[in-house]
Amino acid sequence: MAKELRPVHETKGILGALALVAVAVGLYWSLVVAPPDAYQGEVQRIMYLHLPSILIAYLSYFLVFVGSGLYLWKREKRDDILAHAAAEIGVLFTALTIIEGSIWGRPTWGVWWTWDARLTLTAILLLIYVGYLMLRSLIEDEQRAATAAAVLGIIGFLDIPLIHMSVYWWRTLHQPPSILRPDKLPWENVHPSMLTALTISFVGFLLLYFYLLSVRYRVGEMRQEIKALRLERGAR
Amino acid sequence: MRAWGFVAAAYGIVWGVILLYLYSLKRRYDQAAAELERLRSTEASAGHEEK
Repeated sequence: MAKELRPVHETKGILGALALVAVAVGLYWSLVVAPPDAYQGEVQRIMYLHLPSILIAYLSYFLVFVGSGLYLWKREKRDDILAHAAAEIGVLFTALTIIEGSIWGRPTWGVWWTWDARLTLTAILLLIYVGYLMLRSLIEDEQRAATAAAVLGIIGFLDIPLIHMSVYWWRTLHQPPSILRPDKLPWENVHPSMLTALTISFVGFLLLYFYLLSVRYRVGEMRQEIKALRLERGAR
Repeated sequence: MRAWGFVAAAYGIVWGVILLYLYSLKRRYDQAAAELERLRSTEASAGHEEK
């Protein structure tokens, strides 16, 4: 049955409004309430963007992994649409993570970029999923494009455990985790106000992410419906 | 650049890029919705003519 069409702001209104509120509170907490770091000073506030961005990117690639696996297994178009939507937003948040990290790295490490294991593997992650999006647009046959992209989407996800473990396996400039550590609870290592800023920022990014994903998924669904209607018309 | 300059650059770029993406997404949504609506209405009118 045909779905009723509504403008973006009506369809995803509640999620969008919640995201807006959480993002605004997160910005206030990150830039005004949280104290400056004892060693890094004000520049540490970039972490309230950096950490949520990369976690959202990981979540996105996890959804690409799940959607791709389901597509290869069941061949249902909706799984491919989900994987495609998640990959696009994942690329956005990975690029933002690298930019934020670079701006933070200049005053902290003294360089905009270094070929550190974690940074390099994150850049590779970005290239893999940019490749995923390019692959989809380069292969004309839609089914073949979806299959090839699904395979790449699954293989690409293997880079994430490597990124996570890179700070333990290799001697890197990038520090090991400060919050999610096996030896300490988060509030034992970070000032409560900083932890609150980080949590609110993450919730804001998460709500924003689901809002973007739901709109992007609907765009994919509508494009599919358009193709089906055109095919139907052409067959008559 | 001083510390707040780096903070302002990071926050400005991130939210600027996210807003641009939101704008492009809204445009794509509206275009697809309009195209779908057009196809459905021509489909419906073709159906009436057939009857």
